[in-house]
Amino acid sequence: MTAEAPPVVAVDKEEQVSAPRPRVRAWLSRHPLAAYAIRRLGLYVVELWGALTIAFFFFRLMPGDPINTLIQSLQQNYIYNQQASAEIIARYQHEFGLEGNLLSQYLRYMDRLVLHGDLGPSLINYPTPAQDVILRALPWTIGLLGISAVLSWVIGIVVGAIAGWRRGKAGSAIITNLSIALAHVPFFFVALILVYVFAYTLGWLPARSAYDSSISPGLSADFIGSVLKYGLLPGLSIVGIGAMGWILSTRMLMVPVLGEDYLVYAEAKGLKPWRILTRYALRNCYLPQVTAFGISLGFIFNGNVLVEQLFNYPGLGTTLVTAIQQLDFNTILGVTNVAIFSVLTAVLLLDLLLPLLDPRVKYWK
Amino acid sequence: MRILNAVLRTVRNSGRLATGLVILAVMVLLALLSPLIVQWIGGGTDPIEVAAYEKWLVPSGDHVLGTDQFGRDVLAMVLSALSVSLQIGAIAGVISTVVGVVVAFVAGYKGGWIDNVLSTFTGILLVIPTFPLLIALSAYAKNVSLFQVGVMISIFSWPFAAKTIRSQVLSLRSRPYVDLARVSKARDLEIITTELLPNLLPFIGVGFASSALGAIFGLVGLEVIGLGPGGVIDLGQIIFNAINTGALTLGAWPMFVVPIVLLTLLFAALNMINIGLEEVYNPRLRGVAGE
Repeated sequence: MTAEAPPVVAVDKEEQVSAPRPRVRAWLSRHPLAAYAIRRLGLYVVELWGALTIAFFFFRLMPGDPINTLIQSLQQNYIYNQQASAEIIARYQHEFGLEGNLLSQYLRYMDRLVLHGDLGPSLINYPTPAQDVILRALPWTIGLLGISAVLSWVIGIVVGAIAGWRRGKAGSAIITNLSIALAHVPFFFVALILVYVFAYTLGWLPARSAYDSSISPGLSADFIGSVLKYGLLPGLSIVGIGAMGWILSTRMLMVPVLGEDYLVYAEAKGLKPWRILTRYALRNCYLPQVTAFGISLGFIFNGNVLVEQLFNYPGLGTTLVTAIQQLDFNTILGVTNVAIFSVLTAVLLLDLLLPLLDPRVKYWK
Repeated sequence: MRILNAVLRTVRNSGRLATGLVILAVMVLLALLSPLIVQWIGGGTDPIEVAAYEKWLVPSGDHVLGTDQFGRDVLAMVLSALSVSLQIGAIAGVISTVVGVVVAFVAGYKGGWIDNVLSTFTGILLVIPTFPLLIALSAYAKNVSLFQVGVMISIFSWPFAAKTIRSQVLSLRSRPYVDLARVSKARDLEIITTELLPNLLPFIGVGFASSALGAIFGLVGLEVIGLGPGGVIDLGQIIFNAINTGALTLGAWPMFVVPIVLLTLLFAALNMINIGLEEVYNPRLRGVAGE
């Protein structure tokens, strides 16, 4: 490596400051992976900041007066007879971070959010902080959507691989066409049909809520059984449609691989078909499918508004709808931020991990 | 004429594309004819008027799908709602495809810092969860028209179209024939319209179908939460009414099963068109999605 000659000329102060830069650059060019990671992290920070900012201004610029709404709801709830005085309004404005102009509101909001992880008080459950309201809903959403996501991925990969392997057979064609037809159908439609059949017509399963309210929440067998029973219908509707998409994409990835020479060679070697399928063919589909799965895991933090709403499931989606109905800015922003953060982080982690997992992935070039 | 022949050949080569187009065409035809059919069902009176018939009639010869809680004929309602749903898909699909195409071409063709800025912005919009924003927007904007809802939905759906088309522009930009056009001093706009755009039509078609699909579902979602545009009934609102008026407990299944079946068919048709177009224009996938 031809190192640059160190500057021999007398340097003034300004040049001294920038002197290390060539060294940094040289180091980066010797460590492309590190350079890539740094650039990727930088992009992550920019995207995160941009998305949080857009979300903040989007909701702040909406017409509607949350303080007025709060005072009205307080008056209703606590029979608050006196008219809201200017002091009370000012106090609430302070508490909700609504005093000053939009820019100072924004700076204060970012300061609270980034440095303290504080979203301010919620309205739907005043005075509980919005982050606590969200944290209470989060386990339900993660539980329902997370388990459903894993199940649909596993089912989709297995069925899709078999459908690809047995391409041209009648069963495979039926499964493929079925998944093409159903892959984009909203979960909610299936949920509605399932509710009608199993809850209203047959009466086998509960139609609403996340657990039997007569059982107190805890780590008892009764409670867990009840949660599973109540989660069956929403879960089934998500897995049923979600798996279709994975079947389709796995099959699409499988079929071109099946024509490769190394598979013919593996067959000529006399390997068992099952071994060829799992160790030779399916392996090549893992990478894109793992990537897509990681991203879809990030998206579960969006909650599934419609399914949760239909089942009255106490997750993020239901929380969001309640918050919007009551103009609860802090909670709305909080839910949106959770979704933004988890999607961006999932994509970041995948982008950083993939070059390590697969030597063919060369992002940093 | 040449274009027509090419289209016909494409359709003949892909059974899936043809099936999707036929289903879509039948639905559009039904929607276009819906005023006439509704009139015929009413036989002189308006069958969608409140209290046109008795409430909650079960399906029979007179009312094939029964009537709802206001005594409206469900079949007539479903048909005119289908036309509204297709309209919202067309409005939002066109707007977001046009915006997406413009952004994709500017970013992909110009490259450099413009591409960086536009792509980062598109990327940011893609991670902001759209449904909450859409709910919020329509919760505040009450009494909006169908067209305004279409615009609102397109605000959030153009980034998807932009992203797909941009990557195609990037791959086309460096093809030899584009270089040739550039060497022969063709202007940028000329290259884009005569060299790039025709080759991208299938991808633009895919973008349009996806945006339309997203918009129809977006409106259904809004209606199900009870936040749709006023004055019109789309398929989502019929489902919402069915849930809220207890059609589930009363066993009035046509009220939600028929809209769901229609929308499922529509989604299936659009997805078949998507996959069919990709198969035809991406030879590596040919035969992949099933023989």
